[in-house]
Amino acid sequence: MTTRRFPDPFAIETPAGAEGWEDMYNWYHLFGEERREQDSGRFWFQDRLHHPGALHPYDEIQCECWWQALGAFNTRIFAMPPAYGVDQRLLNGYLYVSPVPAPEGDVAARAEIFGRRASHYYEHWDQIYDEWKDKVLARLQAVRDLDFSPLPDLEDERVVFDHVGTSSGYRLIESFDRMILTMYETYQFHFELLNIGYAAYLTFFGFCKEAFPDIPDQTISRMVGGLHVDLYRPDDELKRLAKEAERLDVGDRILDATDAQALFDELSTTEAGAEWVADWHHTSDPWFLFNTDPGHPGGYHIYDTWQDDPTIPLASVKEYVQRLRQGEPLDRPTDEVLRERDRITGEYRELLATDDQATFDEMVALARLVFVYIEEHVLYIEHWMWATFWKQSKALAASLAQMRTFDDPEDMFFLRRYEVAEAIYDTVAAWSVGSRPRGADYWRPIIARRREIYEVLDAHDPEPALGPPPAEISEPFTIMLWGITTDTVSEWLADDDDEDGERRLRGIAGAPGVVEGPARVVRHVTELESVEQGDVLVCPATSPSWSPIFSRIAATVSDVGGIMSHTAIVCREYGLPAVVGTGNAVATVRTGQRIRVDGDTGVVTILDD
Amino acid sequence: MTSITWISPEAPVDTARLGGKGAGLVRLAVTGLPVPAGFVVAPERFDGALDDVIGTHPGSAAMSLAQLETVSERLRTAVFERSAGRPALDDVAAAYRRLGDDAPVAVRSSASGEDAPDHSFAGEHDSYLWVRGLDDVLVAVRRCWASLFTARALDYRRSAGGLPTGAMAVVVQRMVDAAAAGVFMTLNPSNGDRSKVVIETVWGLGEPLVSGLVDPDRFVVDKVTGQIIHRHLAHKATWAVRDPDGTGVVTDEVPADRRDAPSLTDDQIAEIVACARRIERAEGCPQDGEFAVDDAGVQVLQTRPETVWSRRPPTGVTAGRSAMEQILHTITRAEAPGAPDDPT
Repeated sequence: MTTRRFPDPFAIETPAGAEGWEDMYNWYHLFGEERREQDSGRFWFQDRLHHPGALHPYDEIQCECWWQALGAFNTRIFAMPPAYGVDQRLLNGYLYVSPVPAPEGDVAARAEIFGRRASHYYEHWDQIYDEWKDKVLARLQAVRDLDFSPLPDLEDERVVFDHVGTSSGYRLIESFDRMILTMYETYQFHFELLNIGYAAYLTFFGFCKEAFPDIPDQTISRMVGGLHVDLYRPDDELKRLAKEAERLDVGDRILDATDAQALFDELSTTEAGAEWVADWHHTSDPWFLFNTDPGHPGGYHIYDTWQDDPTIPLASVKEYVQRLRQGEPLDRPTDEVLRERDRITGEYRELLATDDQATFDEMVALARLVFVYIEEHVLYIEHWMWATFWKQSKALAASLAQMRTFDDPEDMFFLRRYEVAEAIYDTVAAWSVGSRPRGADYWRPIIARRREIYEVLDAHDPEPALGPPPAEISEPFTIMLWGITTDTVSEWLADDDDEDGERRLRGIAGAPGVVEGPARVVRHVTELESVEQGDVLVCPATSPSWSPIFSRIAATVSDVGGIMSHTAIVCREYGLPAVVGTGNAVATVRTGQRIRVDGDTGVVTILDD
Repeated sequence: MTSITWISPEAPVDTARLGGKGAGLVRLAVTGLPVPAGFVVAPERFDGALDDVIGTHPGSAAMSLAQLETVSERLRTAVFERSAGRPALDDVAAAYRRLGDDAPVAVRSSASGEDAPDHSFAGEHDSYLWVRGLDDVLVAVRRCWASLFTARALDYRRSAGGLPTGAMAVVVQRMVDAAAAGVFMTLNPSNGDRSKVVIETVWGLGEPLVSGLVDPDRFVVDKVTGQIIHRHLAHKATWAVRDPDGTGVVTDEVPADRRDAPSLTDDQIAEIVACARRIERAEGCPQDGEFAVDDAGVQVLQTRPETVWSRRPPTGVTAGRSAMEQILHTITRAEAPGAPDDPT
């Protein structure tokens, strides 16, 4: 095996045709000469978990929300003893991250502070989580309630007779600022619980590994999971709709349907059909407010929700109707999973030293407590909150296009959000005065250039990592969430080919089992229809929105994810062997190749060419 | 009353009547484990031989090993001769006939309690394998009775301050014509992990493995989930098989297609793990046992308490830390090598 070093970020060249890309992103988010020495000396890895593709300028907020919030809660609020935040840089349109350790000399003092502060949260977790849900759902409603409709030629007379006292122009400026602020605020809440939740989970993991050195990661997870978690509710609703379709005897028409709207129109002509359609629409809010990003949900504005494209959830309903007719059980065996969970936990407990058992009980209880949050926040924030933000942003873009600030609504997404605020002011000022903004004429050439640059960046294959590789990866988030370990780094540094010519990809054993089968590389949820029975799914990451095909596939291989990642959790829930966090499976494996997936050891072998 | 106790789930576990080894086998049967068919001959006393042979009390610490050996041989010869007419031998004959036509059997001493030397070493006079035919079986039984007075047994008792005063029971059990055989341990001997069962196997009979002559296949299985965590397949070039004439054992070459193949199927592994867990639960401590696999399936040959890791209590991980303290301990250690050791 040859080895190579990761390049210095300052040595990376701009892809041809992308010159000037730096203007598309906020200056503080880029590598800069002023902090060159510091940045060159750090290890950066490309965040394929959250952002496998290049970023639109407007979408940059997705990164910045967690850049600030994750850091503040670690560094300044809970004083996470060994860790500060996770730093970020954008390079050629891709996000690179670098965990920042706390100064070694401060760790002991921070541990004391953390002990006091985190204990308070652990001890009052149930109550705090209830409060948390209320806070977040209130912010969600606040964003939903914002009004981004185009400015009227004449204000409705209610503004006068109700003494409102503000113009719609002001309302538009304020709405946009409020929406941005609300996202920052929501992310404060996101990390209020996440870091300390992970700390508890990581501790439970570490304990089990020390007490039982050979215990597989997924066995530990089985002691914690199986609980009712809202995240699986959208899929459960699809199953329910399938059962209802059979009960109302409209299953045949659903199986024949190819277009959702056409189906709804057709069904509405009968009483039973209309009942089913009404059920669908009622269910759709909020359970179809579900993002379909190939990776981490909500990361980009460009992917539809189930609400945007009902054909996606309809495909699942069709699948479920078929399975019902074949007599297959639809429901996840939660009773069984819980029974197994308790059996496994009880039996390992018996094998512990008696001195450890009381603390084990505490840790299991705490891990189960935080696990609900770790899972559910994905629904509330990554799905509902971001889906709502993107939807409202698109409403704004449509209004601005209608008011000729942009030629096309999609243009808005090529502006940085600060530029969008400026564009709104330009629009509002012109509307207020009754003349014309600089608007589309000003932005047109800029946007045209940026669209070209974006195409080049999105086609570009970025380096997996930059800077000096660490001797050892030990930061908990890096390992548990991103799935990057010391071995992963070695893998990136080494050649792909094994000595005996067998091509192997190494990842993390996400869910147990060994299978062989033909690979099916899928990058987007719209490609799921092509998956055939017995295929091995190879994808950037899986998510519950892909669950209809889980009954068809033999195993999953994903680019991103650690044991705590969504892909691993979902595969364990559905009993599929999985290797996660391979880094480059989608780029390396070809559809049709026979591959072996070993979910016990985390190795994927390409068996033929 | 007959001298014979058949090894069966209904047999009373009476160590005085069965000796240690016999009692162990009956306990296995009572626990519902598959053991090779067999019976235990109740202890026979030979106080007369003892009185006749021993002039001076051989308890003196000054007796050399050679002297011990001489005394031992005299005692054993005396016992053997006097045992010829014992009525118990009629019971043995009837029982052996019930086992089947000239079945090859193992005939082994089963001492009780204070007369039982350290389990870990097989004696040269107390265990006879692949014995066939009634005459040979009766001779083997008589030799086992005499093995109460091996030099080793005398030496053992000598340091305890006396002669063996008990009597020897004998186990007679059908030999397993093993396709594969091995050992299991209900913890991982590499690290003491009590959540694992470790199985080592070879093709054929288990003797070469037990005596450390060959490199076996090794399987590490999680007790709680049944998952096979590690598989190490050895290159198994030779195996011990029954001599074609039915007595004794020969070493032969393993057929080429099996040398690198696993000597146990996953189903067999699961069965052995199930047996091992059952025994451990019944005995209440980690076990170290032997098994063999033939047409009838998996059979347990013997088991005894594991002695290395079990002597220490399981090492605690938390050292009395509460959950919060454990969290701090984990996250402060996880960050960097060279972080100060947590003094708690």
